[in-house]
Amino acid sequence: MGDRSEIPPGTLYMLVLKTLARLGEMHGYGIAQYIQQISDDVLQVEEGSLYPALQRMLIKGWVVAEWKQSESNRRARFYRLTADGRKQLARELKEFERVMAAIVRVIRPA
Amino acid sequence: MRALLRRFRHWMHRDEFERELEEEMRHHRALSAEQRGSIGAANLQFGNMTLLREESRSMWSWIVWEQFLQDVRYGFRTMAANPLFTSIATISLALGIGANTAIFSFMDAILLRTLPVRNPQELVVFRWRAKTQPGVIHGMTGSRFGDEGGSVSPNFPYPAFQMLKANPDGLSTVFAYAVAYRRLNIFAQREAEFAQGLYVSGEFYKGLGVTPAVGRLIADEDDKTGAPAVTVLSWTYWRRRFNANPAVVGQSILINNLPFTIIGVSAPEFFGVDPGAQPEVYVPLHTVPSLSTFRQETEKRDFFDGNYYWVEMMGRLQPGVSREQAQTALAGRFRQYAASTASTAKERVEFPTLWLQEAAGGLDSLRRQYSKPLFVLMAMVGLILAIACANIASLLLARTAARRREMAVRLSMGAGRMRVIRQLLTESLLLSLMGGLAGLLVAIWGIRSLTWLLANGQERFTLHATLNWQVLLFTLGLAVITGTLFGLAPAFESTRVDLTAALKQVRANEAGGRSRGFGLGQVLVTAQIALSLLLVVGAGLFVRTVANLHSVNLGFNQDNLLLFSLDARQAGHQGAALAQFYGDLLDRFRRIPGVTSVGLSQFPAVAFFWNSEDIHIPGVQLPEGEETSLSIVDPGFLPTMQIPILRGRGLEQRDLTSPRIAVVNEVFVKKFFPNQNPLGRRFGLGKEQPADIEIVGVARTSLYNSVKEKETPPLAYVPYTQNLEGLNRVFFELRAAGDPLVLVPAVRRIVHDAGPNVPVTEVKTQAAQIDETISQERTFAELCSGFAALALGIACVGLYGTMAYTVARRTSAIGIRMALGAMRGQIVGMVMREVLVVAAVGVVAGLGAAWGTTRFVESYLFGMKQHDPAVLAGAVLVLIVAAGAAGFGPAWRAARIDPLVALRHE
Repeated sequence: MGDRSEIPPGTLYMLVLKTLARLGEMHGYGIAQYIQQISDDVLQVEEGSLYPALQRMLIKGWVVAEWKQSESNRRARFYRLTADGRKQLARELKEFERVMAAIVRVIRPA
Repeated sequence: MRALLRRFRHWMHRDEFERELEEEMRHHRALSAEQRGSIGAANLQFGNMTLLREESRSMWSWIVWEQFLQDVRYGFRTMAANPLFTSIATISLALGIGANTAIFSFMDAILLRTLPVRNPQELVVFRWRAKTQPGVIHGMTGSRFGDEGGSVSPNFPYPAFQMLKANPDGLSTVFAYAVAYRRLNIFAQREAEFAQGLYVSGEFYKGLGVTPAVGRLIADEDDKTGAPAVTVLSWTYWRRRFNANPAVVGQSILINNLPFTIIGVSAPEFFGVDPGAQPEVYVPLHTVPSLSTFRQETEKRDFFDGNYYWVEMMGRLQPGVSREQAQTALAGRFRQYAASTASTAKERVEFPTLWLQEAAGGLDSLRRQYSKPLFVLMAMVGLILAIACANIASLLLARTAARRREMAVRLSMGAGRMRVIRQLLTESLLLSLMGGLAGLLVAIWGIRSLTWLLANGQERFTLHATLNWQVLLFTLGLAVITGTLFGLAPAFESTRVDLTAALKQVRANEAGGRSRGFGLGQVLVTAQIALSLLLVVGAGLFVRTVANLHSVNLGFNQDNLLLFSLDARQAGHQGAALAQFYGDLLDRFRRIPGVTSVGLSQFPAVAFFWNSEDIHIPGVQLPEGEETSLSIVDPGFLPTMQIPILRGRGLEQRDLTSPRIAVVNEVFVKKFFPNQNPLGRRFGLGKEQPADIEIVGVARTSLYNSVKEKETPPLAYVPYTQNLEGLNRVFFELRAAGDPLVLVPAVRRIVHDAGPNVPVTEVKTQAAQIDETISQERTFAELCSGFAALALGIACVGLYGTMAYTVARRTSAIGIRMALGAMRGQIVGMVMREVLVVAAVGVVAGLGAAWGTTRFVESYLFGMKQHDPAVLAGAVLVLIVAAGAAGFGPAWRAARIDPLVALRHE
């Protein structure tokens, strides 16, 4: 897995929230797969951090979960954004872009 | 907030959540395996499932718990690392919490416990209240006590009980009872003994909902004139006296020389309606006349006189009826009743007003007697706990110095300040819980010794305190509160660290070479000294009070005097035969080897007994209701008590046959015959009696009712044969050559020979008798001295700890001074000066507090003012000396500092 990168610290929530914003409703596996695919396999979501993160987001009320039949006819827990989650996503995106721009300014050759 | 709710929901359904989480992960693995084509690879990729689960779980709530366990473990390690600190803290807390628990358990026993009967919260007790003495009350037997602006009593006429019982508005039942003020003489199995009795109406047991342990209980048909005489025993009496033998039910015993059949034993937990009385023998209300001295008069008065108040009543509220509703209805009916018993205008001035008092806890005799002293004690032990808290807080502060680096390291490594405070608080809570646990042991011991102190030789002491769950809860609460209190300030203080300085181990306070005047530590020690002073002042006041009471000039010689009481009247002797019986006994006691003199009196001196009569003197105009006190004695009494005759003669044997004479005290002469010769003058007792009692002598004044009496009343000593009708119980005084208690077996043998059914009671020395009457003062003095010593000890430990820490902190500064030529004496002086400043500030604050608070105990003091200068000065001296002693150790250590070592220490 050497060619895959760890997700930069602090951005996992943002990625999960964004994914859910796009897909509407998805189970944990699907979220991980989606992030991996969209990032061309660069971003590898560690399951060991995905599920704790989902739990934490449940506590904070950013997502809600519901048990449903999955596409492959299995029972799966599907997560969906809440209004709070949408607000949080906007906040995190804004903050991320600000930091990103700053980093770019720093590393850009003078 | 919502997050908290979600967390809580999770916690409620945590099993379900775990199952769901597991299923979710299984799902993930299955999909992953499908994609990769192998389960093994999927598992590998997923990693440690258990760890993952645990992490998710901790997300929800367990993180706090885990950290708490960490803190607890760490706390124990810290405690083990400082055994001296830990044991000092635990011991002082244990003493503080234990003392509080012990006192609280007494308050619980008195104020909070309910009667062990069915639905006790429905019970109400009848009372009346009046501003003046209502005219309709012609006579009364029972208790009566002052209330704001009037008096309150639980006693009612029997006809009123009958009326209320017939139609008890709002109550489902009304029942009556009356205390047997003179204990009953129980003769069973060839042995006589006195027992506490309670007269009960037929509805008593049914109304309370008490069940029999053996046999049956007194019912309606037993409480009638002419019904067979029956009695019910209390469980404890049945066990003590009859060895819990069920065969005694149906047997006959003699009560005051009359046969009664035992019909049953009440349930084990039932002790009566007054936690302070606990009767042993229950008999029907209608047996009162036959057990009394004057049968017919008593019967007429007790059951038919509507103006004679003597029965007490309780009732049970009907479901859904409030106490106020029932009271309104019943008070109206009782007013009508009282009005119907009034015959003159004077009697209509004020009627007693009926009211209902909540009675779930039974009658409040114990509450009235002990609640004020207990509040005083509670305040004292509260102070001790406060001192212990301040003490531990100051020790913790001192320890903060040692842990400054540790804290600095933690904080610089990124620990949150709140997190560190939480950890420090956990440590102090652990300490306080350990203190609380050890405090329970102290409390058990404390309850035992307090019971012993309060009982003070009473044969059947009825105040029983135990460690029940309420008391345990109180202790736990106390431990948690104290832990938080003494932990909070040091925790905040120690996390306020200047990181760089602390890490470089620069002594922060050293910059100026002096400690910054009054730090938190000094404030805490000052507070301890102030509080200790308060307790020392209290102890001083009580100790001096007791000393004053002991040095009171009694007017008689209390040494080597044996007292005991006999009541041959209850055993069937009467009138002249009774006087003969006592006279014969006197002769026989006089012949016991070792007895130098014997006397007889109606009651012993200074034992709170009182007997007075209206007096009239021919040729002397006295105000209406002028009284003289009486002492009914035999000729041997005055010589035995060594009360000298100042004029005329004393009582002599011949006076027993012509008894219309008296010896009076000096107060009597001064009051009724000022500047006259009283010898040969006559006076009369009672309104209708002739004035035919001749004064034959004047005795020196001696105390009559109590060692605390401010003014001895006018007193007449009259022969016990003067009123043969009224003669019943008497006391004997035996003057011994040596220890009076060695006479007891001989006395018992003689009495048993003379009348086997006459029990010998209240055997004690005169000195012990006096001690008993000042027991409350003595108890206060003993407890308060103990408390003060405790407080002083704790405060000294605190002062020592704080000073030792100050010295340690300034080792190098002192080293420099010494290197520059300071003498050891100067160093000692420097530290001692600081000690004395702290002590002086504490003493001043404590004096201020003492000035304001000692008035609460003023009513317990004797022969002195609340601001007794000697006591205050003594207390200040004690504190300064103690503080000096505590501070000298550190000062001496400071002087021994080797400048070379101190300077190299940096």
